[in-house]
Formats: sequence, C-alpha cells, structure tokens
Amino acid sequence: MFILEAKNIRKSYGSKLNKQEVIKGLDLQLEAGEFVSIMGASGSGKTTLLNVLSSIDSINSGTIMIEGKEVSAMKEKQLAQFRKHHLGFIFQEYHLLDTLTVKENIMLPLTVTKVPRNEAEARFKSMTEELGIYELKDKYPNEISGGQKQRTSAARAFIHNPSMIFADEPTGALDSKSASDLLQKLTDLNRSRQTTIAMVTHDPVAASYCSRVIFIKDGQLYTQLYKGTQTQQAFFQDVMKTQAVLGGVPNEY
Amino acid sequence: MSIKTLILRSLKKNLTNYYLYVFALVFSSALYFSFVTLRYDSSMNKVQASVKGEAGFSAASILLLVIVSVFLLYANQLFMKRRSKEIGLYQLVGMTKFKVFRLLSIESMLIYFGSLTIGVILGFFSSRLIVMLLFKITNVQAVATLHFSPEALLQTLLVFLVIFVLMLLVNYFFMKRQSILSLFRVVSTTEASVKKQSVLELIIGIAGLCLIILGYYLSSRLFSTDTVATNALLGMMVAILASVIIGTYFFYKGSISFLFNLIRKKKNGFLSVQSVLSLSTLMFRMKANSFLLTVITTISALAIGLLSLSYISYYSAEKASEQFVPNDFTFSHKKDLASYEKTLSDHGIPFEEHRIKVLSVPADLSDVSDRPLIFASSNSKYTPISVISTKSINEPPLKKNEMYLTGANDSFLRLTNFKESGTITFKLKKESLKRTFTELKHHYVVSIKYSNGSLPVAVVDHATFQLLEKEGKPTQSIYNGLDIKDNTKLEAANDYFIHQFKPVASNNLSPRVASRIEDVKQQRGMIGLAMFIVGFLGLTFLITSGCILYFKQMGESEEEQPNYTVLRKLGFTRDDLLKGIMFKQLFNFGIPLFLGLSHSYFAVKSGWFFFGVSLWTPTLIVMGIYTMLYSIFAILSTLYYKKIINDSL
Ligand SMILES: Nc1ncnc2c1ncn2[C@@H]1O[C@H](COP(=O)(O)OP(=O)(O)OP(=O)(O)O)[C@@H](O)[C@H]1O
Ligand SMILES: [Mg+2]
Repeated sequence: MFILEAKNIRKSYGSKLNKQEVIKGLDLQLEAGEFVSIMGASGSGKTTLLNVLSSIDSINSGTIMIEGKEVSAMKEKQLAQFRKHHLGFIFQEYHLLDTLTVKENIMLPLTVTKVPRNEAEARFKSMTEELGIYELKDKYPNEISGGQKQRTSAARAFIHNPSMIFADEPTGALDSKSASDLLQKLTDLNRSRQTTIAMVTHDPVAASYCSRVIFIKDGQLYTQLYKGTQTQQAFFQDVMKTQAVLGGVPNEY
Repeated sequence: MSIKTLILRSLKKNLTNYYLYVFALVFSSALYFSFVTLRYDSSMNKVQASVKGEAGFSAASILLLVIVSVFLLYANQLFMKRRSKEIGLYQLVGMTKFKVFRLLSIESMLIYFGSLTIGVILGFFSSRLIVMLLFKITNVQAVATLHFSPEALLQTLLVFLVIFVLMLLVNYFFMKRQSILSLFRVVSTTEASVKKQSVLELIIGIAGLCLIILGYYLSSRLFSTDTVATNALLGMMVAILASVIIGTYFFYKGSISFLFNLIRKKKNGFLSVQSVLSLSTLMFRMKANSFLLTVITTISALAIGLLSLSYISYYSAEKASEQFVPNDFTFSHKKDLASYEKTLSDHGIPFEEHRIKVLSVPADLSDVSDRPLIFASSNSKYTPISVISTKSINEPPLKKNEMYLTGANDSFLRLTNFKESGTITFKLKKESLKRTFTELKHHYVVSIKYSNGSLPVAVVDHATFQLLEKEGKPTQSIYNGLDIKDNTKLEAANDYFIHQFKPVASNNLSPRVASRIEDVKQQRGMIGLAMFIVGFLGLTFLITSGCILYFKQMGESEEEQPNYTVLRKLGFTRDDLLKGIMFKQLFNFGIPLFLGLSHSYFAVKSGWFFFGVSLWTPTLIVMGIYTMLYSIFAILSTLYYKKIINDSL
C-alpha cells in the first residue's frame, strides 16, 4: 500500500500567453515508512514538486492521493486541515516564528490536535531530547545556531506524529557536521516512528542517507536509485555518478 | 527606464498603498483651510461678537497646525523608512543620491500638492457646513454664507509649503546620513529585537501599573481632601499628571510584556495560533513603540477629557442657568417686575409671581461641614446664611425646630464636604437658635445671587422666620421671580421681555433683569464655541493618530508576512490567521484607546462638577463617538492584514 501516489501530475506557472510548464506528467509512488530524496538540477522543479505533493501549491492536472485520500480534489480549507493533522514540514530557511520560543514553535502543531497537555509535554520532552535541544526550550530563534534552528524545525515537523514529512533542502544552510547530525536524527526518527520522509536535496551525501533517490529532469522522473543493502558509501558513489550524468553540478570531495 | 516612468510607476504603486495617507493629507488641509476661512470670514463676527472667541480661534489654529505638521512629518518619516530598501536599490543600480532624492521629491510633491488642492476645494465647501454647525451649537440665528477668502488660501498654502520644505529637508538628511547598506537594514533596526525578559523590565512593568493606579487614586482625592484647604492643589495636579504619564510610558515599556509573559508562562509553550499572532508579537511591538503610544494615549485622553468637559457644560447649560435664573424671569427691581407684569396682562398672558423675602442671618455651620474655611470669614465663627420662609414659597409648615436646605450645587458640596443633615445654630442679637435639617435639596428657589457664596438657602417655617427677622435684625432683600403659566406662551413672553428690557439686559455681569431662555442661549453660545474648537482639534487628532497607528500596522503586517506564509504552509487557514489578527488589533488599538478613555474618565471625574451637573450622559456620548471613529482605523488595519494574509501563500 502506497502512502503517497501521484499520477500524471502537471504544473505550470505564468499566464496563458507566457506559460512555463515545470512538471510535465510525472508519476510517483512512495511507500509507507520510506525515506526518499528528490534530486535534480537547479530549476528542475524539485521545490515545485514538493509543494504540490504537500498540497501547499495546486496542480493543473493529475491526481495526488495521500493515505488513500485524493488531496488534489480537496478545497482550501480541507487541505489546510489535512496539512495540519497529517503532514509535517522542514524548510530550508527553518521558518521558525521569531517571536516564539523554541518550545512554543515546536508545540504549535499540537495546539490544534486533541492531544492532552501532559501527553504533549511528554512528547515534547522525548522529541527534543532525541534531537538534543531540550535545554534550549526557552530561547528565542535568534539566540540559537542554524543547526539548532533546523533541529527545532525538525522537532516541529515530527511532534504531532504526522504520516508524512516533507523537507526542502533541510541541510542547505548547515555545515557538513551539523548536516550529518541532522540527517542521522532524521534517519533515526524515520526508523523509530515509521514516518515517511520526502526530502529535496542537492547534496549527494544527504541523499545517501535515504533508502531511495529520485532524479528529476525536465519536469519528469528521470531515474531512481534504491539503496538496497549497499553501504552508505557505495550508495553515495552511485548517486554521484547519476548526478554527473544528469548534468547537475557535481560536488567535489 | 527614464526618470519619468520611474516616478509614474512608483506613484501608482504608492497611491494604492497610501490612500490613507492621501486621505489624511486631504483631510488635514481641508480642515485647516476651512478653519482659517472661518477665521477670516465676516459671518464669524456674529458668533464672536457675543462670545469673544477670537483668542480661542487663533490658539486653536496654532494647535491645529502643530498637530497637522507633526503628523505629516512623522508619516513622512515612516514612509521613508519603509521605502529605504527601494532607495537603496536605486542607488545600487547606479543612480546618484541626489538623483534618487530628486525622484522622491518630485513624487511626493505630486502627491502632496495634489492632495492639498483637493483638500482646499473640499475645505471651502465644507466650511459652509461647519459654519452652519457652529451657528447651530452656539445658537446664532443667521444664514451661513461664506465667501472665498484669498487670505485664508494664502495662509494655508504658505503653511503647507513650509511643512513640505521641512519634509524635504528631513528626507535629504535621512538620505545623506545613510549608506546603501544601512538603507537595506533600516527596517530591521527600528524595531527592538526579540529578547528575553529582564528583571529591570519586570520592575518597570510593576512600577508602571502602580504609578497609573497612584495617579488615579490621587485624582479621586484631588478636590475632596485637605488639598483644597492647604493650597496643595497645583502640586497635586502636577503629581497626578506626572505619575499617570510616566506610568503610561512604563506600562507600554514593561507592563504589557510583563502581563503577556505571565499569560504565556501559564500556557507553558502551548500557544494557539491566535495568541501566536496577537500576544507574542504585541509584547515586543508595544515595547518598541512605547514612546509613540504614550504620546497618542496622553493626547487622546486630553482630547476625550476636554470634549467631555465641554460637552458636560453644554449639556448642563439649562441646569446651570437654573442657579442664576430659577424662574422664567427674574428682576432685581420691583418696578421692572411691575412694568413687565403690566405688559403680560396687556397681551393676556397668564403668569405667576414669586416674591420671596430673603434674610441673611449669621449662623454657626461647624456641624455641617468639616471645612468651614472655604466659606467662613476667617475671624468669625459665624457665616451669614440666607433664610427664607416656607410661607413665601407656598409650602406647608414644617415641624418646629426643623428646616431644610435647598439650592446646593455639586462643586460646592464636594469642596466643602457638606453633610446631608445636621444642626445649624443661628445667631440672634441676644440668644441663639438651633435648627436641625434633614434634607439637602438641589432645587433652586431663589437665584444664587441671593445666597452667600454658593451656600444653600435655609428654608424655615414662618414662625422661625419671623423670630429671626424680629430678634436678629438681619439684612434683608427681596427676590422677584416670574413664571409664565402657559408654556406655549413662553416664547412670546420672552419676545416682549427682550423688547422691553433690551437696554438694561445687555449688561450680563449683574443683570437687573434676566430671562432663563436668554441665559441658556448665552451659556450655550459661550460653551458651544469652546466645544466646537475642542471638537475640531479632537477630531483632527483622532484622525491623525488613527492614521499613524494604521501606517504602523501596514509596516508590521508586511514584516510579519513570512510568518503567515509559514503558518499557512503548516496548515493554518486564512480564517485562523485572521482571527488572530483581529485579536491583535483589538489590543493594538484597544489598549491605547482603553488607557486614553480610562485616563480621561478619571480626569473628568475628579473635576467635572465645576463644569456642569451631569457626568454620565455627556461623557458616555463623547467616549462612544470617539471609540466608534477610532474603531474605523482598527477595521481598516484588519482589512489590510487580510490582504497580506491572502497574498502570503
Ligand atoms: N511562483 C513561481 N512563479 C513562476 N515561476 C516559478 C515559480 N516558482 C518556480 N518557478 C519556476 O519553476 C521552475 C522550477 O522551480 P523550482 O523552485 O521548483 O526549482 P528547484 O528545482 O527547486 O530549484 P533549486 O534547486 O534552485 O531550488 C523554475 O524555472 C522557476 O523559475
Ligand atoms: Mg528549490
């Protein structure tokens, strides 16, 4: 059973006269509990894909099903409701509210659920301890580092136990140490909670943490790689090769 | 792109954004022009001849000018800050500072003088309306005709030109000081950054609340304690003003964030999206804008207070007039009364005459007021009090040893702490005479001129009256009053009165004859002009401060737009956000309004009795209107936020 199923989706920007088709009939399936990354050259439509999959943006045609519900047919209010309860987000620029403390930021998704207070408190504690940010709970975002912000944003994405998490270049603004820390945490959370994660990234190292990497080109699925039983190192090499073929900017290591 | 297209383009963009600024400009120039037109117009002589409002008018026009120019300069500064990025961008693409300055100047000149022209035209037409209104409140019977006054136009143009030059200068120095980089940063440095609460803030917060409460407490005792007797009045007033104003400042600086923080602490991280959008941003914003908010609150309070007081006087004119003219007409001389009575009889108007003999008897009042200092002569224990007989006012006889007092006004009662019942000892030539009173009536039987100061008049039964008259040998006088029996004929009677006594009635300081209708008119005219001027200023202030708060909200909403994007991505709907914003506006406009209302309420309450006889109705009407007009700006802000929220995803 697929948790997410996209069939023949199309998305274009611009007016009728000046139309630019970014996604051109793309099919995609994600299995429950998968950790998938989406790669492709800059401007290939990764962010756009993530946005339409996560219902932040609308599609022009095709269908998107999440957990068997047709998201692409929902009205704005229903969508918002759906996002609030079933999806989690990690953004490249963290997207924390700067007038809220770390704790308030993280708890935000829980305020609309029926989770009782002490249960919420317990979840908050275990989640932030797992991510190593419990001590920061009363600080404001401008008082913590980028890596800590990104972990806060990850905690916010996970706190309400969503069935899917969408992450757009979560490691883009981090140094390699903080990046691998965060990715390790995401992998752990993915395993322990069985949360499906779809992550856009430019970084083959980040991609090598995933179980599958999907490559996008010209608005269509170009190819995909499965990690299978390979080591992370071997998978990383594979990803690098494919990326070079794809024509993206290869990372020099 | 040529400079012309650049100007046109940004003009178009700014006009849609700043329609309220244009409105405020049009409004203030219209107001100013009509005010000056009024001043120069000959029809004003009709009002001023009876009232001498020239001084008031010129003082008001200066104040009006101050409000308008402060507002325009402040708004201009806000816009420069908001547009600093744009300015930086122009420079980045290679325009010289001077060229950008010229661009901006031409643009603002077009907006400014365009609005000014519209304002002047509107001002001319509305001045007629305003004159009509003024005539109505001051009871001047005249047709409002207005002529276009070149002097007024010249003065308006000159004044607004000076303000414009000042604006240009400010802009010039603003640009000269800034490097391109700092222009990009201006917006973020103006608002205080988000920080943890310090202990100092907590202390400031508590001090703010305490100071305001202290000020309120002092104000409630201003005219009721020993202050009046010990001449500490002025010091006390200064203390009240200082503690309330400083308290207000501290309130914005610390108390708000202190209170909101308490609420937040209690929620323990569990903030609903509504409180995210209201509580959490407000506590930082209000702190950053505490000075501005203090000024707005204080002047709002002043405006509401003055408006309330003048409306109280206006509203109470009839009641106040009763003190001086308790009957429809009063006459100092019997021959005037007689001749008028003849006139009435000739025209077949039935009337009722009130001739009341008033004795002035020395009495010991120490039992009824603990502050006899105010009315007693310093070297004697006895104060003369006016006494009349029940018989002279056609009332049934009282019990022996009893009497009542009548004709008490609130300011007198409060100042003297006068008791509702007690014993008064009259001093006769040989013995003394004790009488108790159980009632203190507010109703006036004889004109206040016949009582000693503002002391009420003692009404005793006829036996006592005769005794006092015989044994005391007091000074006596006779009050002559006259009532028209048929109310529908009052108007006609009044016309005959005016006709007959025109030469003697004109001296209004101690009139030989007086008509209640005319007295009320005169009071209304006097207070009406004051009320009109205060209202004019109050309205200007209301609109300018509302605009400033609105402009601030525009800036804030744009700054917070990324937050709305995040929240909407996370799945909060537009309605969720809008609800939070409404909540925010409730506080944002509500707190200054509430503080202003509450300040003015306490100010009015401490001294209203000097102005009239009715506190609640006029005060509530003024406050209600102020609140309604003020709310318009809150609604406009919310609408702007709605647009920003819609555009955020
Ligand atoms: N809101 C928009 N309006 C118009 N065009 C857009 C919009 N968003 C994206 N595009 C266009 O769609 C294309 C894909 O953009 P997208 O942001 O999805 O790329 P991306 O793969 O995420 O690139 P990057 O790796 O640089 O983030 C680009 O050509 C971009 O110009
Ligand atoms: Mg992208």
